[in-house]
Amino acid sequence: MGSPNTDNESKKKESTEEASIDALKHLLFQPESDRLAMLENRLDDPMTRANEISRSLPEAVSLSVMEGDRLTRVIQPVIDDSLKESVRKNPKALADAIFPALGPGIRKAITATIMGMIQSLNQVLNHSFSIQGIKWRLEALRTGRQFAEVVMLNTLVYQVEQIFLVHGDTGIVLEHVVAEGAMIQDPDLVSGMLTAIQDFVRDSFSTDGESESDGDLDTLRIGSNRSVWVEKGEHAFLAAVIRGNPPMELRTFYREIIEDLHLKAGSALAAFDGNTQPFALFRETLNSGLRFKEREDSQQISPVVWLIVALMVAAAVALPAYWGYRVNQASQEWKGRLEKIRDQKGVLVVSVERDDGVYRLNGLKDPLVEDPLTVLASENRSDIRARWQPFYSLDPAFVFQRAQTLLNPPPGVTLSLDRNTLIAKGKADQAWIDTFDIRATAIPGIDAANGDTLVNTDRIALSTAVNTLTALKIYFENNSTELIPGQTQKLSRLIETIRDVNRLMVILNLSVQITIVGHTDSSGTEKYNMKLSRERAETIYAFVKSRSMSYGFINTLGVGTQVRLKEETREEDRQFNRAVSFRANVLSANQGTPLNRRALQDPHPKPDGS
Amino acid sequence: MTKKKICLLGAFAVGKTSLVQQYVNSIFSDKYHTTVGVKIEKTSVDVDGEAVDLIIWDLHGEDDFQHVRLSYLKGSAGLIFVADGTRHSTLATALNLRQIAESSMGSLPFMLLVNKADLADQWEIDDEVMEDLRGQGISVIPTSAKTGQSVEWAFEELARKMVGK
Ligand SMILES: Nc1nc2c(ncn2[C@@H]2O[C@H](COP(=O)(O)OP(=O)(O)OP(=O)(O)O)[C@@H](O)[C@H]2O)c(=O)[nH]1
Ligand SMILES: [Mg+2]
Repeated sequence: MGSPNTDNESKKKESTEEASIDALKHLLFQPESDRLAMLENRLDDPMTRANEISRSLPEAVSLSVMEGDRLTRVIQPVIDDSLKESVRKNPKALADAIFPALGPGIRKAITATIMGMIQSLNQVLNHSFSIQGIKWRLEALRTGRQFAEVVMLNTLVYQVEQIFLVHGDTGIVLEHVVAEGAMIQDPDLVSGMLTAIQDFVRDSFSTDGESESDGDLDTLRIGSNRSVWVEKGEHAFLAAVIRGNPPMELRTFYREIIEDLHLKAGSALAAFDGNTQPFALFRETLNSGLRFKEREDSQQISPVVWLIVALMVAAAVALPAYWGYRVNQASQEWKGRLEKIRDQKGVLVVSVERDDGVYRLNGLKDPLVEDPLTVLASENRSDIRARWQPFYSLDPAFVFQRAQTLLNPPPGVTLSLDRNTLIAKGKADQAWIDTFDIRATAIPGIDAANGDTLVNTDRIALSTAVNTLTALKIYFENNSTELIPGQTQKLSRLIETIRDVNRLMVILNLSVQITIVGHTDSSGTEKYNMKLSRERAETIYAFVKSRSMSYGFINTLGVGTQVRLKEETREEDRQFNRAVSFRANVLSANQGTPLNRRALQDPHPKPDGS
Repeated sequence: MTKKKICLLGAFAVGKTSLVQQYVNSIFSDKYHTTVGVKIEKTSVDVDGEAVDLIIWDLHGEDDFQHVRLSYLKGSAGLIFVADGTRHSTLATALNLRQIAESSMGSLPFMLLVNKADLADQWEIDDEVMEDLRGQGISVIPTSAKTGQSVEWAFEELARKMVGK
């Protein structure tokens, strides 16, 4: 392609050639190209394509379903979205569709709520006009709470005494828990009767129209103050014996327990054949349902304190004249200050007297309160003269702090207070355990001490020492009472351990009997070996005696070859029997006084203290 | 722990309660207090080295089959039918009850006790009838709640059947 001329010429020529090729193509491929155009049309025109796919869609879907759940997964988000969209646009359609399923559930929930409201309303009304009610009205005025709230607070006092988990068909108890102190009958008998009663109620009272669960018994009342709540599931029910007035939320909690049980053990329940073992798992859960609520008595003052107050008052003859209402004469400002002083725990103002612009307070204070007046700013204290007599406040915080100070527990011990019982947990030595036992109950406000789970570290040390000792072997030359060389360290361990044992048995008030046992190898005559073994034991005894202050609890024994430390299958084994070993016997010294109660318990204390 | 529920059924005053009391508490009384509804007792029995708790439902006597409370039978692992040897009709009642129980519960291990064996002179059910029933594969045991005759054995035999040993 050189000059422009030749270019033009060749183009002309090409175009004529093209025209003829097209004509040829047309002749040759006309039918195909028509088909192609049609195909193109089928592919391009959405209407046509849709028409065709719609014909094969059902087959395609069913093939895809047969092959697995891929289709489901792919389609699911689309369906989710379209459902949402559909509900958004036309909620009524969905409501209509699911109403039959939701209806009974909602009805039940509403009934429960209304029952709950009626119950609390009842209480409010019941208490409106009693003396108690008037008291509570005053309390409401004072605290700014609603009257109803005060009543609820004061009456919602309850305790769940027992919970039964019962297999529905057989009436057999799967698991049963009891609150401390509750009186119980054989749970199987109780649950059997409960089941029978339910059967009876269902047979006798459920009417045909009602769904099965509607005719069920859900509460039994016993006397005025006790009830049994029944929460029923498909295969099992939960029955809670409750004293007092439980809140309705508790029912929801039990409902959840029973649902959880069916979720986790539904098949075991359905196939239940009398084996209750698998249901022990639910014990913890049931225990968490043993709830209680105590009356809130923060205002209540212990009778002991009143007694002290009364004595104080009697003693201070001059005071009664100023008792109580004198305060009314004081200004509003003074009232505020006095309130602050009085509001402190561990502080009791007995009388107030105004004298020459000075307020004279007489009262009681717990030694743990530094100075009751420090709640006031210092300029507000200048006109107050206070005289405080010491008294022990029985407020739990004070009781606990007092226990902490007086008992001074070692780092491994934690104290806690459960009502009037002081509980110690952790590790402590015998000396501290003794202190705890003797002194805890002497602390005002503490009636009982519980250190049952305390781990006695001295006791552990003793068993460690005994183990060390019984593991120790001292070896001798052949046919001799001479030690083989290289055992100096063992000997000093021996002396140390014996000293430990001696020290610990005194602390623990136990007696320990240590026996040094001599052995020989199996060569030589029986008679000779007995003598040699005895002499070996005595050699060690003499050594101990020379190094240790006390040895009265040690004796010796020769056993010759009668007790083998090792079977002599090879020559080298013999050396192991030319030895002394040690035995230790822990005996209790005298019949346990409460003092060494724990020392006598359990010769092998577990380190976890359980 | 394995626990099994069993039920006692039979006509009025055949001695269901007495049998249970004899078995569980080893006591017998001549007084008749009819059972209303159901009375439940529990005892432990050793079946070839395995301890099984029996929860025994002592049902009220039933002469009118139309009103048998089948719901009480639910979940039973075994049944005891009781007849009174001194009243022939009670055997028919027992057999009828068995039929009803079987149609609603399927076949369960069971025993047929013919009670009051101590009253031999007033006996109305002869040995032939009992042999006949045995021939049909029914365990028929003459018992006496009064003397304790075969009572323990009958309960334990049922327990063995229920545990499948
Ligand atoms: N002689 C004798 N008397 C019996 C025996 N068993 C029961 N009785 C008496 O029969 C009467 C009825 O006994 P129950 O055990 O109460 O009978 P039941 O089958 O429980 O009766 P219901 O509960 O009313 O169905 C009582 O007076 C018993 O003392 C027995 O073996 N021998
Ligand atoms: Mg009876």
